[in-house]
Amino acid sequence: MPIVEKSLVEGLERSESLQVEGIDVSGDWNTFIASRVHTDLDLSIVDWVRGQPQGATIDRCWQCGTCTAGCCMHTDYGLEEFNPRYFIYLAQLGYDKELARYAQTVWRCVSCNKCVERCPKGVKVEEVVHSIGTYLELTGTAPKSPADRFDEAYTRNLLARGILDEAGLFQTFEAGEGRTLPTGEKLRMGLRLLLTGRLHTGPLAKRTRGWGRLRPVLERMLSEDLARRRQDLPARLPPKGGP
Amino acid sequence: MSGTAASPKETPAYYPGCSMDGLGKAYEVSCQLVLETLGLPLDRIEEYNCCGATEVKNLSHDVSVALPSRNLALARDMGRQTVVAACNGCVYSLARANDAMEDPATSARINARLSEGGAPTYDGQAEIRHVLEYIRQRAGPRGVRAAVTAPLKGVRVAPYYGCLYSRPKRYTKVGLEPGRDNPENPYFLDELLEACGAEVIHDYPAKTICCGGGHALSDLDVSVAFSASVLNEAKRAGADVVATICPLGQINIENNLDRIRQAYGPEVLLPVAYFTQLMALAFGRSVREARLKLNFSRPDLFFRARGFA
Ligand code: SF4
Ligand code: SF4
Ligand code: SF4
Repeated sequence: MPIVEKSLVEGLERSESLQVEGIDVSGDWNTFIASRVHTDLDLSIVDWVRGQPQGATIDRCWQCGTCTAGCCMHTDYGLEEFNPRYFIYLAQLGYDKELARYAQTVWRCVSCNKCVERCPKGVKVEEVVHSIGTYLELTGTAPKSPADRFDEAYTRNLLARGILDEAGLFQTFEAGEGRTLPTGEKLRMGLRLLLTGRLHTGPLAKRTRGWGRLRPVLERMLSEDLARRRQDLPARLPPKGGP
Repeated sequence: MSGTAASPKETPAYYPGCSMDGLGKAYEVSCQLVLETLGLPLDRIEEYNCCGATEVKNLSHDVSVALPSRNLALARDMGRQTVVAACNGCVYSLARANDAMEDPATSARINARLSEGGAPTYDGQAEIRHVLEYIRQRAGPRGVRAAVTAPLKGVRVAPYYGCLYSRPKRYTKVGLEPGRDNPENPYFLDELLEACGAEVIHDYPAKTICCGGGHALSDLDVSVAFSASVLNEAKRAGADVVATICPLGQINIENNLDRIRQAYGPEVLLPVAYFTQLMALAFGRSVREARLKLNFSRPDLFFRARGFA
């Protein structure tokens, strides 16, 4: 059988010329996989992902690879190691060590939802992939990614007034990432947006009427969910960073 | 969905969403012009809140369902079944909440929280439409053609749908109900632009790719690469202008113009405009009325050169 996803296989041996029982088979059958046995598998990850509302569909995956074949990060952007099918496979297997190698990759899903559209098994692939990424982050396997920080800044900004303050979000996020505040061209752009009535920030920020009552409820829901996903982690993996 | 179908005469509720009210102003204004000309009214949900797009769900499932549900509940309180939104991200999150609220336990949990916060509860009976689908369904190519007074003759347009207009169908129901677009090969925008007299590039390869907008700030390389290919593929297909249906996509592409120029050269750049700006032009509105100068890619210069007032 041809080995399709060669980039995933470690210990590939290739011989330049090969003869089997006197017949030259180089070119077609010259690649071998060195034998590997793994005993340190741990199913905590798939248990955790399944327990999250976003990851509940993980068990439905039958590894057809449709998601990866159309994934815009894998195919259009060409990041070969971004492979949602494989992330799910490793999680199902409990092969944390291999998954850890993708700690800097999993978060890059752009949420285009092509995978969810096409999955023949009804896996909410995009949310499952995000859950896997969250697990890696909560267990300290992956650093908190810029996308995680953006999601947080976005959510806090939105919950404050009910309506997003786009420019405010831009500023807090950029400053948090240690990037310099806009100058020159950017300022001119900002000014133009302001003058054409497209910027509602600072004192001009919009708010939803009656939000003051709903806001604390939503904030409590948020902190309960954030706490629960940490509590659900396996006991032997003390959550990193804060309560 | 168990409810009765919306009456074809109903004036739908309109969910503006924060980007239409802010950076997407040209879209908002041109949408109103087009809907007015076609006699398709919409009633704005006044006290809406932001829908949470694709970000909030990564932190909390329940908050990401509660935010859109409050808006859909407001629409239901206005007595409306159809809710029209013009942003792909909004269509996605509203439809996703609808899907989640079909589960009785989720619905009970979310509604309890909404009441606690003084918000109306949601019965799960709204239907979500992108404004493109709404125009195509109510006016159709024929209705559009009848309204055209300044056909976009000889203007080659690349129709860019972006990612979340129809995807995923399990939420949007696109392709699962009669009269809806095709989720893999959408064509409603092609039809409407053609009805406006434009030369539409039907086999534009970047039609439904993502613009990378979700990661515009957190993964710049990706957002520049995707927005560049939206332009690049259009250019290669001989387009004069790219038509968009999503404020996030439009803003992301235009915000990356300088970086695209640096990385790929100025020959990749093309004017980008909301489809409603193009339709407004075809309906005889001026370049100024269609707010084409608001776009950073300056489609106003192109259309003035083509003799549009
Ligand atoms: S498309 Fe669905 S079933 Fe197939 S590998 Fe991806 S998640 Fe699994
Ligand atoms: S949502 Fe993420 S995983 Fe799915 S196809 Fe898009 S980039 Fe790939
Ligand atoms: S095309 Fe871009 S802006 Fe539009 S929905 Fe997709 S990611 Fe969002």
